[in-house]
Amino acid sequence: MVTPYLVHFIVFVLGSLLASLYFSFSNYDILNPPKWTGLDNYTKLFNEPVFWKALKNTLYFTILFVPLQTILSLILAVALNQRLKGLKIFRLSHFLPVISSWTVIMYVADAIFNPRFGFANSLLVKLGLDPQKWLQDEHLVIPLLVLIAVWKGIGYIMVIFLAGLQNVPSEVYEAAEIDGAGTFRKFRNITVPLISGTTFLVLILSTISTFQAFEQIYVMTGGAMDASSAGGPNKASLVLMIYLYQEGFSFLRMGYASAIAWVLFVILFILTVIQMTLQKKWVHYE
Amino acid sequence: MKRQIKTWGTLLLGLVMVSTFVLAACSTNNGNSKGNEQPGQKVGQNSEKKDEPKTEEKVELKLGYYSSATTDAKMLELINKFQESHPNIMIKTESSPYNQFFQKLDTEIAAESAPDLWLSDGVLVPKYAERGVLKDLTELIEKDLNKDDYYGLEFNKDANGKYWGVPQGIQIAVLYYNKDLFDEAKVDYPNENWTWDDLKAAAEKLTKDSTGKYAIDPAFDKKKISQYGLTFFSITEGWMTVLKSYGGGVLDGTLKKSVINTPENKQAMDWIVDGMQRELLPTPSDLKSFPSNMAPFPSKAAAMRIGIYVRTIDANAAGLNYDVTLLPKGPSGKRFSPVIANSWVINKNATGAKGDAAWEWVKYWATVDEVQQEWAALGEAVPVKKSVANSEQFLSGAPANKKAFLDSFEFAGTLDVNAVWSEWVGKFGDSINRAFEGEITVDDALKQADTDVQKVLDEFYKK
Repeated sequence: MVTPYLVHFIVFVLGSLLASLYFSFSNYDILNPPKWTGLDNYTKLFNEPVFWKALKNTLYFTILFVPLQTILSLILAVALNQRLKGLKIFRLSHFLPVISSWTVIMYVADAIFNPRFGFANSLLVKLGLDPQKWLQDEHLVIPLLVLIAVWKGIGYIMVIFLAGLQNVPSEVYEAAEIDGAGTFRKFRNITVPLISGTTFLVLILSTISTFQAFEQIYVMTGGAMDASSAGGPNKASLVLMIYLYQEGFSFLRMGYASAIAWVLFVILFILTVIQMTLQKKWVHYE
Repeated sequence: MKRQIKTWGTLLLGLVMVSTFVLAACSTNNGNSKGNEQPGQKVGQNSEKKDEPKTEEKVELKLGYYSSATTDAKMLELINKFQESHPNIMIKTESSPYNQFFQKLDTEIAAESAPDLWLSDGVLVPKYAERGVLKDLTELIEKDLNKDDYYGLEFNKDANGKYWGVPQGIQIAVLYYNKDLFDEAKVDYPNENWTWDDLKAAAEKLTKDSTGKYAIDPAFDKKKISQYGLTFFSITEGWMTVLKSYGGGVLDGTLKKSVINTPENKQAMDWIVDGMQRELLPTPSDLKSFPSNMAPFPSKAAAMRIGIYVRTIDANAAGLNYDVTLLPKGPSGKRFSPVIANSWVINKNATGAKGDAAWEWVKYWATVDEVQQEWAALGEAVPVKKSVANSEQFLSGAPANKKAFLDSFEFAGTLDVNAVWSEWVGKFGDSINRAFEGEITVDDALKQADTDVQKVLDEFYKK
């Protein structure tokens, strides 16, 4: 019974993993067979300012995105976890962006943030302020991408939180009410600890997703027009996955790109281990 | 112990299955390429009932090209005609839109399942040639083609004098101008004696803000441009043209050394940056607010553009009242028109009968007038064959002065294309785009670009 799984595992998981590990120690241009070059790719990588910039951008994205999305979606989940008229419509409307493709979202975002025709700039001008370049501004691009990503992703995390909230037994709340606890007290001392397992899952998932962020940044910062211009302006939104893609597929340096992938893996692994260790301090399982 | 043996047995069985699977996949791949062709692409295998001499063995040729819906239909039609005249050759096509085509091609080359011959973007020919993927066509060209009959053969010649492709269609740039916008601003149309400074003087009278004031008006607000004098994008339809007519450029003759940090380039860059800072030309970030980098001219948001031949399609479709003329001269009278010769290239692995058949197709494309005319009728490219390009059929229709494209061959040049072209163009852009945006000085941009581009070149060539 285990054979089909093994075949799948060996061909599609282990095989690809080992191949990419091997490529990361070689000079591989896709068109010709790889040549072993030892640690070359890794030394080059660590001495490359663009790599450090991409890593910095990725971390910046993560640090803004993960807490913002987690907190907002928890608040939303709590708000939508009660008897409300039109509850389903509210939940649905928050979930709709989740199932839309990034290309569609790009057009929506462009209608708002286009420097020439966008709604945001016409509002600024009406208020007597200077128009902004938004996604073309190297200081605004990451915060703006984070806001849009939170708007798109919040519904998904909300659903996970809702599932967590519905597992909190109502007796606990009733007991607390009898003891005179108010809404905030209940949230702080019952809800938060009792869904900490869910929160932990959400944190891990969102962190991993930010490190893998590609499509949004590719589509929104110019990749659709020209792959090598994605990650602009001035590489301010060049994250690791975009960097990897350009090196591997646009510039045919698959060995170097594989090295980026492995470094990315190691970073994620370390972050996850840290989160796992810290969870003992704050996550409660029943 | 017994359990361990069982586990190992399962693993072994798994491995055997995997290898059988892989082998089976490989063997089916040989005769029959993978299933990613579009349906109905196996083009008319007609000649079955004809009594061919036995010496003519059937050859199956895999031909790859990038296309759009209109070009795809025409290409299939021409392939059908080819098969009628070459009954021993059966063509299987593989086509996709531009980006997918080249991505797939790279992986197919790695898997040794690439087409026997394919249509390559002119700027990508050295990428494949210098990595040893293409067949050297020098001898065949010397033997079968009279070089004087064609435009653009020279544009695929490498520094060692070898030819790697035969042009399929030529893109060459001229100056496009919108007559209505010129009339509205009461500015004389561009002429063949213009210098870049003449162009800028006109651009100043043609750049308009959202309240309708032109850039020559003191009340002009450069933060709210509704119409640019000249739209300007990236290398071909942007900086390379200006740099080269100012006597500058990016790489030297060997294409392995950067010559970016020169007084000529500085002068050219100053011309561009000044234009952009006054918003007579859009900066790269201004362009991003358009649906595409090509949009300003056809949508009447720019009065002029540097444009290759294929841009006539959009301009005609938009119903513009426009014409074209030669690109302006640099300060010393030098002219430059960038050219891209999209070309047929042959896979190095296509040997023997397949190689011969592939060359037959290339010859058919280049030499047969009918093929050249049919393709030219699409309006996609300047025909490769000079007699067809200079015919009434090609020169008629909009724009009126189509002859400017042909006249520009006299001072045409490539875009310093080599194996790492896309990469150095990207690196060059990283620095100079910042100068275009006014974030760093031209001097700093050129210095930085020089270092970055040289690094890319060294990495590839000094192995």
